[in-house]
This record gives sequence, structure tokens and C-alpha cells, in this order.
Amino acid sequence: MQREAAGTLPGPRARYLVIQLARFGDLIQTKRLLVSLMACGEVHLLVDRSLTALARLAFPGVRVHGISAHGTHGPAILGLVHDDLQELQAHQFHRIYNLNYSGLNFALASLFPVDQVRGYRLAHGQRVVDAWPAQVMRWTKVRTTRGLNLVDVWGLYADQPVEPERVNPAASAGGIGLGVVMAGQNARRSLPPRLLAPLVHAASKRIGHGPILFLGAGAERRAAAELRAALPGSLRGAVRDLVGKTSWADLFEVVGGLGLLLSPDTGTMHLAAHLGVPVMAFFLSSAWCHETGPYGTGHLVLQAMATCAPCLETGSCPNGVLCRNVFSEPGLLRYVSGQDVAQFPPHVAAMASTVDSLGVCFRPDAGIDPFMEERQSFRAAVARIAGIPGPAPCSVPLDESWIQERDWMLPQTLRGRANE
Amino acid sequence: MNEPMRRILIVLPMYGGSLPIGRYCGQALRILGHVVEYFEAPGFHSAFSALKTLRVGTDRLDYLENSLLQVVSQAVLAKVEAFAPDLVLAMAQAPLSRQALKRLQRDKVPTAMWFVEDHEVFPYWKAFAPLYDTFAVIQKGNFPACLSEVGQPNAFYLPLAADPSVHHPLSLSPLERRKYGSELSFVGAGYPNRRLAFRQLINYDLRIWGNDWDGEYLLTPFLQRNGQRIDTDEIVRIFNASTININLHSSVRPGTLIAGGDFVNPRTFELAACGAFQLVDRRTLLPELFTADELAVFDSMSGLLQAVEHYRANPEARAEIAARGRARVLAEHTYVHRMDTLMAHLQSLMPPKTGDPSWLEEIPSDLREDLDRLLAKLGLNPSASFQDVVCAVRGQGGRLGRLETAILFLDEWKKQYTPKRPEK
Repeated sequence: MQREAAGTLPGPRARYLVIQLARFGDLIQTKRLLVSLMACGEVHLLVDRSLTALARLAFPGVRVHGISAHGTHGPAILGLVHDDLQELQAHQFHRIYNLNYSGLNFALASLFPVDQVRGYRLAHGQRVVDAWPAQVMRWTKVRTTRGLNLVDVWGLYADQPVEPERVNPAASAGGIGLGVVMAGQNARRSLPPRLLAPLVHAASKRIGHGPILFLGAGAERRAAAELRAALPGSLRGAVRDLVGKTSWADLFEVVGGLGLLLSPDTGTMHLAAHLGVPVMAFFLSSAWCHETGPYGTGHLVLQAMATCAPCLETGSCPNGVLCRNVFSEPGLLRYVSGQDVAQFPPHVAAMASTVDSLGVCFRPDAGIDPFMEERQSFRAAVARIAGIPGPAPCSVPLDESWIQERDWMLPQTLRGRANE
Repeated sequence: MNEPMRRILIVLPMYGGSLPIGRYCGQALRILGHVVEYFEAPGFHSAFSALKTLRVGTDRLDYLENSLLQVVSQAVLAKVEAFAPDLVLAMAQAPLSRQALKRLQRDKVPTAMWFVEDHEVFPYWKAFAPLYDTFAVIQKGNFPACLSEVGQPNAFYLPLAADPSVHHPLSLSPLERRKYGSELSFVGAGYPNRRLAFRQLINYDLRIWGNDWDGEYLLTPFLQRNGQRIDTDEIVRIFNASTININLHSSVRPGTLIAGGDFVNPRTFELAACGAFQLVDRRTLLPELFTADELAVFDSMSGLLQAVEHYRANPEARAEIAARGRARVLAEHTYVHRMDTLMAHLQSLMPPKTGDPSWLEEIPSDLREDLDRLLAKLGLNPSASFQDVVCAVRGQGGRLGRLETAILFLDEWKKQYTPKRPEK
């Protein structure tokens, strides 16, 4: 891998801009990159205007800028964006990390000298994807045996990424109560109230005491009412329904005080990991813990392991989302409640988070992960490409089908993250 | 300009005389207010050159060259898909395969070829002409009938021209006059008729510039820079520095000094646009382009020698003819004139413009002045559609300004949040 010569690295007061135009969860998952850059200089972060308050709460040392990227601005967006860009133009950035594969990001790249942009660039009107994100996209074409957490994907853009254990505090159960997130952005990744209720019941047994706080957006109020109705009568009194009632600051405070958060793959789940609050997540359908599981040590993901998992969220499910049924298995519910389980059910695994030298990884605490060794070989290869010490490869040979002829033959590919 | 603004993709050839002409056309179309992008075929030329160094069998080389040509043609199609032009204007030798042209026909993308070659010397037009919607040519005679016979009824005469922003009078320093000047000068390739003719000029202060003169021992002392190609900027200096520029049209017919053909070469217009004096051999299409007092013409070798003797001694006559020739070019024979004619001819082939300039009314008032300046900088008229502005902004190289970035951002935002395709 080609690395930049030390002499060309920006000085200690280098100024960086990170462009993160995606949603709540993605913003929180940018943390490793932000923390790494903050160790080297002044860090600016550009986010959708609706997320500026959240970004300032999550990353107090970062200068946050907003842009009218998403929402229903109509034609007025031209004037709004023109104003938003004035603030950015006032700064001289040494490097711009443009993180999202989106037309909006490609357009924004044109404001900066092309050789200072990393990730997604616009060179003379041509969209150009750097080698690192291009490789990551290719890796995700076979998801079962591979897996690099999104926090690490973005974190490894930095020349000197911080160690994984310095990103989030280790999960510690110092708080009180159980938080329950109703639904993720993708409905198929969430559980209906009838399946979620037994999980909530079991999780409340696990922590033993405290309130049960329902969390979510306003659109989920009905689901919250149905969930409450589906809970045993003994638990209903403990429920505090905060769905649609929390500001970003409220959410920070509430989640930060929890003893456990039960959630599908959501922004609130990443927030809990950011704050060191233990997460018990349920991942099904297209959600895959090896890609977007909660970052840091001490979290658990109940990962559906149907033969078709993980699927593509853009395609319809030919099996009626059968993978969600594993979450009502008595063995799994006993495990969630903290009891000993003689026989863990098939097609699901309880994956515990830990870190290796590359980043966060998940290993089975209960159940079977048939691809663990292949994934370790993959992670060893990724570490080599990223130019950082990695886990030792295991005896299972690495699937190298992601390597293309162009990697070998054309310039600017397979140079790892310190590319171009 | 009466015609609506169009988006035009110019497919340049990989090399050769029509390459600079393609660029002059693009510049002219921009002056006329159209949005122009080029398919930069010259960038692919080195790949074809590399194939020729393989030392493999001729069948294999043929196969490889054809395969590479298909890839280049696919690249043109990809560019068409991304740019969505109202017209694809191909210059002679543009790398568009028959398959690619058929695809454009199927997709109802109007195509035009400006065939700026001699159809008798380059007969390959027969296989390609029917696949273009329009075929502009620099010859008359039986050529339109021949085109009609092979299935191209929509051919029309479009003579060559000059670009006054490139070809214009220069005020040269004494040093430049010494470097580029001579009493007689010729710039061009060493075709057989030129070799024969110029042997009779060796008693003059003669300089020959250009390539393909190898093996011509008698003229070697007059050949400049060992026959290297001369770039356009230096050619214009040579035109301006020379007392008499010889403009002898090429001929490959053995033993023929003065070809007496029909079409008028680009050098005729370029020399005139420079205000340079030229002696040009008679062409049948010349009288309808220039009058007798706008160009000095010769019919034979003896006529050339007489004209040289006459004009070398008459600087006032040279200056008057050159001035009239330049005025005629500026009035009627620039690429802007040619492209105006071409676009008028093609108007019926292109779909009606559906672009809506009403987007400009929604621009905040404090941005209108900046936007007007941007439109002027991009060479767009004030009624440009949003999508045309986006294309023009995207075509700019390097780092963009705040307003340009905001325009690209709005375009992407519309794609993301508006279900229907943006207007053209």
C-alpha cells in the first residue's frame, strides 16, 4: 500500500472537513473518523441542517455546519444552499472527507480542489470514487463471510485512525431501566408489537428493575400503543411512552441513563453505544451485525441467521420475512431474560461485540456463526490493505473473488485507504 | 439567434485535419449560445498506436483494432446517455461504429456528420453516410447524387471556414519575423503535386513547414524543423510573417501539379482571416466564396511563377487583396456562419425544446445578479433551461464557485426528491 510521505502530512493545526449527509445513525457512526482527525487538527462537520443540534451534542469538540440537504425545501434550496456554502468557503480545509455515495455529495465536492477530497469526488464533471470506498462497496456484495463495521469503514479514511477501544466507552450497566426502540427506518428490520412484546418482557427480567421507556419518532405512536397492550399487565404500569416526545437533548439524557437498550438497527442504538449504554439489538432481514452492529465492547446482537440472511432491503422478501419468527423462540427468550439455555434455537445467534486491532467485531455468545473463521481471514486481509496491524488470519483460505483485474492493471486501485 | 439553445455533443476524430475543425465548430456553437461538450477521441489514439507496436499477425491486429474501436464507440454512447444531447455532431473519422450509429438511430438521437474530406480520395463514406441523419459535405458536383444512391438523401453543401479568434492578424516582433518569415512559404504535407511544384521555387527565399516531406532531397534545405508537425499557434505566426503564402491544394494524381478540383481547403479561409497574402490554385467552388479581388489565384505552374514575380514587387497590391479577403471571411466564412447554417438545416430533425426557463423566476432576487454573470460566463442566453445550465456548469473544469456548486446540488436534490425526470 502506498502511504503519504510524512513530510506531506498536514501539520498539527490542520483543518479537516467531514461531509456526512446521511441520517441520525450514520452521523453517530462517523465517530471514529472524527476522533482520529481531532487528534491531528481542527475538525469541521457538515450535516443536514436537521441534525446540527444532534451533531453538536455528540461531538462537542467539532465545529458543526448545517446544509439544507434533505426535506421539502423546493426551489428555495438554491438560495439556502448558496448561503450555507458561504460559511464553508470561509475556511481553508487541508482535506475534505466526503463520505456518502450520493449525488448531493458529488455536487458538494466540486466546491473544493479535487486532490484534497477523499471518498467521492467530481473531477471535470466526472464522478470518481476513491479506491477505499470502492473496495468496501465490492466487499459488501458477499456479506455473509465478510464484514467491516461502518464506523471502521469511515474511521479508516484517517491517516492515523485511533484504536477501536478509544472510540466508545465499554458498555456498563450503570443506568436504570429498559429503553425500547419501536422501529428502524426500514420497517422490515423491525419487529411487530406481537413479536416485540415477549422480547421486552424477557429483557425486563434481565435487568430486573426500573421503568420501561418507549422511544421513537412520532409516526410510531400507534405501534407504541399496540406494544403496550401486548405486554403482560404486570409490566404495563412500568411503561413510560416517550415516542415522539423527545428532543435530541432529551434523547441524550434518557438513553444515557438507561440500564439496557432493546432496539433494532437504529440511530438510537448507535447513540447508546456512543454513550457506553449496553445494547441488546435484534437484527433481521438486511441488518447484519458485522456491518452496522453497535460499536464498542459489551453489546449483544440477536442476529437472525436464516440461510437468506442478510438480504437486500431494496428487494421484496419471497419468504414473508420468516427470519423474524426466531425472535419468539422460547430458547431465545430465556437467553434474553438471562437464564441458562440448554439448547439455543437454530437460525439465530447471540453475537457479543468486542474489538480487534482493525475495529469492532462480533463473536457468538450463544448459537453458531458458521462463517467466523472465513471472516477472520477477511479481516486480516482488510487490515493489510488498510495498512494497520490486523488480526492473524486463520487456516480457512481467504475468498479473494472481490479482487478484479482492474485492481491489478489500472492505476489508483488497491492502494488501500491512503490512496490517490 | 432565432433557434432555441441546444445541447450538442461533438465527436472529435482521434487525429487529423478534422480534429481542429471540430474544436472550431464547438467554439462557434458556444458563441451561438448552445451548450457543447466534446467526445475527446484523441485521448484514445495512443492505445491504437500501441497496438501497432505488437508485432503480431495482421489478422490479430485487425481484430484488436476493431475490438478497441467498439470500446471507444461504446464510450461515445455512454457520453450520449449522460449528456442527453439534442444533436451528435461527428467530424470526419469520428470513432462511431455502424453499430453505435444504429443505436443512436434507434434511440432517436439526431446525428450529423461534417465530412470535411475529398470523397474521391476517402471512399469509406459509402458505408457510413446512410447511418447519419444529415451529411454535410465540402463538395458539390455528383457527390450529393452519390450520397442519395447509397441511402443518404439529406446531404448539403457546407464549405470550410476560419475561426477569427485563432486566425487573425498578429503584430510580430523583428525576432519573430526572422524566426517564421520568408518571401515564399508553404505550410502543409508533402503531397506529390506539391513536391513537383515547389522544386521550381528553389531560387526564391522559400521555407516549407510541415510533415511528410521525407525523401525530397532537392527541397530538404528549405524544409523547416526536419519536417515536424507545426502547431496552430505557430502556423498563424508563419502566415503573418510570410510575404507570399503559397496555398496549393493537394493532389495524389501522378504528374498533376495543379489539381483543379472543386472544394476549397481550410488554409484558404485561415490565411485570409489572418490578413495574410496568399496565392491559391483555382478551384471550381472558389468563385462563389471569394471574388477575384479578394484572392490572388493561379491556374498553372507558369501562372504561379508569374504571380510570385508580380506580387513580390507589389506590397500595396498584396495588402489590398489580403484586407479584402479578410473582410469577406469575417462577413461570411467563419465557423459561426457555418454552424448557424448547420443548425438551421437540422432544426426540423431535432425535437422541440421542452426546457422551461421559468426556474429563473424562482431564484432569490439577491442571487439574480450573480446568476446573470454566471450565465454570461458560460455563454448561455438568459432563457437557458435549468438542465442546460447544469450541463454547462458540469462541463467546467477544476474547482467551482459557490453558486455553481449550489446549482449542481439543486440538480442532485431534484433527482433525489422529484419523481419525474428533470426537463431537458
